[in-house]
Amino acid sequence: MTDRSLRLLLDFDGCAQRDNGQASVFLHRRDRKFALTCEEQGVKPSPQRWIAYINRFSDSDPELNQSTKLLRFWRRVNNGFVALGALFGLLSMLALLFYDGGQRINITVIIAFVAFQLLLALLTTVQSLVGWQPWRSLLQRFGSHSQSEIVSHVQPVLMARSAHMGGLCFALAGLISLLVMVLLQDLAFGWSTTLETNASAYHAIIAVISAPWAWLWPAAAPELGLVEATRFFRASGSQGDTDPALWGQWWPFIAMLWTTWALLPRLILYLVAGVLIRRKSRQLLGKHPAMRELMYRMETETLDTGNEHNDALDLPDLKTQLALTPLPKASILLSWAGAGDSELPIYLTHSKSMLAKIGGRVKLSEDQSTLEQVATKLAQESNRSVLLATRSWEPPTGELEDFITRAQERWPKGSRLVLVPLATNTALQPEQHQLLPWLRFACRIPAKFVSVSIMSLDHLSSTIQEGPKE
Amino acid sequence: MKSAPNFAVVGHPNKGKSSIVATLSQNDAIAIALEPGTTRSRQAYPLKVDGKTLYTLIDTPGFQRPRRVLEWLEAHSVSASDHSETLRAFVVQHKSDERFNDECELLTPLIDGAGIIYVVDGSVPYSAEHEAEMTILRWSGRPSLALINTIGTDDYSDTWQAALGQFFQVVRKFDAVRAPFEQHLSLLRAFGQLEPDWEKTLENATQFLSKQRQQRQYQSAGIIAKALIDMMSYQAKRTLANNQSTSTIDNSLAEELRTSWYQRQRMREQTLRIDIEHLYQHQRIRRQEAELQWHSDNDLFSEDSRNHWAVSKRYLATAGFGAGALSGVGIDALTFGSSFGTGALLGGLLGAAGSYYYGGKLLLPALKIGLLNNGLKTATFGPVQDSQFAYVVLGRAVDHWWHISHRNHAGRDMLDLIPADNHWIEGLDKESRKIIQKTLDKSRKQQSLDESLQNKFHEALEKCIAVYEDWLTKADI
Repeated sequence: MTDRSLRLLLDFDGCAQRDNGQASVFLHRRDRKFALTCEEQGVKPSPQRWIAYINRFSDSDPELNQSTKLLRFWRRVNNGFVALGALFGLLSMLALLFYDGGQRINITVIIAFVAFQLLLALLTTVQSLVGWQPWRSLLQRFGSHSQSEIVSHVQPVLMARSAHMGGLCFALAGLISLLVMVLLQDLAFGWSTTLETNASAYHAIIAVISAPWAWLWPAAAPELGLVEATRFFRASGSQGDTDPALWGQWWPFIAMLWTTWALLPRLILYLVAGVLIRRKSRQLLGKHPAMRELMYRMETETLDTGNEHNDALDLPDLKTQLALTPLPKASILLSWAGAGDSELPIYLTHSKSMLAKIGGRVKLSEDQSTLEQVATKLAQESNRSVLLATRSWEPPTGELEDFITRAQERWPKGSRLVLVPLATNTALQPEQHQLLPWLRFACRIPAKFVSVSIMSLDHLSSTIQEGPKE
Repeated sequence: MKSAPNFAVVGHPNKGKSSIVATLSQNDAIAIALEPGTTRSRQAYPLKVDGKTLYTLIDTPGFQRPRRVLEWLEAHSVSASDHSETLRAFVVQHKSDERFNDECELLTPLIDGAGIIYVVDGSVPYSAEHEAEMTILRWSGRPSLALINTIGTDDYSDTWQAALGQFFQVVRKFDAVRAPFEQHLSLLRAFGQLEPDWEKTLENATQFLSKQRQQRQYQSAGIIAKALIDMMSYQAKRTLANNQSTSTIDNSLAEELRTSWYQRQRMREQTLRIDIEHLYQHQRIRRQEAELQWHSDNDLFSEDSRNHWAVSKRYLATAGFGAGALSGVGIDALTFGSSFGTGALLGGLLGAAGSYYYGGKLLLPALKIGLLNNGLKTATFGPVQDSQFAYVVLGRAVDHWWHISHRNHAGRDMLDLIPADNHWIEGLDKESRKIIQKTLDKSRKQQSLDESLQNKFHEALEKCIAVYEDWLTKADI
């Protein structure tokens, strides 16, 4: 039961640490899916279920995981305490009952020893509650796997439980030793103290100590007569006139003293330590930073904005192998898709035998007719260059490509089409980034039929005039 | 059950269709180039909540032969009532015709019922030459919205707005690269208004997006908090062999450990940058070498960075007083208040003195040689003793966060992080300053931080982020 809460905490912590390097998007998607699955199945998404869910594809040996290793380590610590406790319990009782026949076994020493035991037990619990770990370095030396901050928080209560287990074994071994000694030897108990006290005061102390069991076993609660009769002084050196049987009548008191004030507190505190471990484990699990994040991930919807598709590297070839050519002399000027509608540089329109609009809002049939007219004109001229003004900011389209392809087919051999991209302000040269697509476009047309030119700054400085009318 | 709305982003080539989609789908891996034909096929970008699609944006190629398409449509249509049917017939007939690949790709979503988002470039003059493609879109009979994207510096959007109003139900301006997040949401709401059935879905989607943005801000604070604690407490360590004499190796060892310490801190800062970028779904910023350039000019440990990002000595002293007082309160608690707050005062004064003293110096960590239990020696370098180190890292981190959180996914330019000055932190409340200083002090001393302090530190950094944003907004005004 105790280990179950602790194991849950340790398993959860292990999973949380394993998730450390994971992308938050993945974790969110995974945990939200888990929450939705639980909702579908009508079950509460508990930490146990979550651990089982995320480990459902894991076929690693459970013996190898951190929590198993840690719990095994603490079992070993427990076993060590059990063995040491039993051994020291036996030896301590033998030492306490050491009787060479000369002096009595001093009840006061045994009471003090039991009080010391009780104090140790209480201190162990207090230490675990405060969280003080003076033995931490010792644990690390013996190979504690407490790398995690969470584990270090639970160590004090684990150590307290082990110590109480050791104490319990110590008390049990002591009690058994006492009973065996009582059986095998005639032990002579008496009480002695340097302080000037009388038997009635000592009896009052004894009565308080034995109050818990006096009603149950009156023989284990010594009477005033016994107390008066069994005081001894080491210096007196003789037994006086005390009945020797009286010296042995203290053993039920010793047995109950040991059981009630050494064994029972250890047993209770051992059980309390178990409760504390469960409580601490639950608290730590509840306060675990990863638990807060997990709850958040489970409660919050996953939002996928559509960013899976990746074609960032699938870019067209942006290398340009063609350079601008000087603007040639030509007698034909065509204007594509409204280029120069409002104004055309006078240099372009100057001494042109043919000005025509094509593309854009012009009908396809009109494009075709212009194409035929240009073919006829070119056939009569030696200069077979045709200027085609375009808007530099509108990239070349398939329709322009179609027109050029047909021109290539229809126009006489030796004809050349010169694209002249214009800037939005026709008095300026177009920007470089607007020219590059035109150069690449020209490059794609076979047989070097198309070239790209712009007007030089000198040409642009000349006046402008209205563009061709439809 | 009604299917989720689809929106086909269409238009003339090179008008920023992909940029619009990249920004709205928060995808910086969509190919964007000033070259016609960059997008050759349609691509869907669904917005899903828990795997359920709320709406889908469809990026499409631009019109290449609109006059030819219109000519065909007009030749095969009898009356206005058969327009959409004729459009479908065109696609069916030409789907294997290479010349009309782009038109078929962009018209297919429309005949499947998608809404139309027609994109134009508002930085170039209006052109009536686009009327053929607008007419084709009108033939589809689908609800439509025109979007004036601004690619260049000029602004012709008013002329565009007037002209587009004749063809489209709604006309909106939207700068895909620079539009703030609120405009993204407003645009999505406008999409929803195209058809009554879509309104609620798009409203839901905007709520989810807003929530996600708030969550990201919170998560960013957590990521920065983690990195700060990590960097402040980092110690470079080396175990020395038994026979190594420390006196002979001191110099080279110190140099080696210092280099390794610096390298690790720089790497940690880089990890922080990448974590924030990935949180905001910016996967490709680091490939643009912006960070490298930034680092060569403004090295993490350079005096320049220090001058820009370090806080004033006065700030450190007051924050140190607060942090010290917080610790001193513990003494008062132990004495059950009988010290009447002397602990807090004493702690505060010590904290202030320490912070003031350290704040004025560039205190680098020192090499320390210690003994291990098994007789081996260990050499350590760090943690850093200078609180300013953390404020430099914090300032740079918050600045980077701001740029990333305000960067649209259509942005392809280099991220240029120009150092700001330190005044922003003056807007932070006293309590947060104390928490930050206390956490930094504890990290510097490699003390463990309890959950409560960690949470408070996280919250304080969230406030830092808010203060920085506020400070920048005011600075812009």
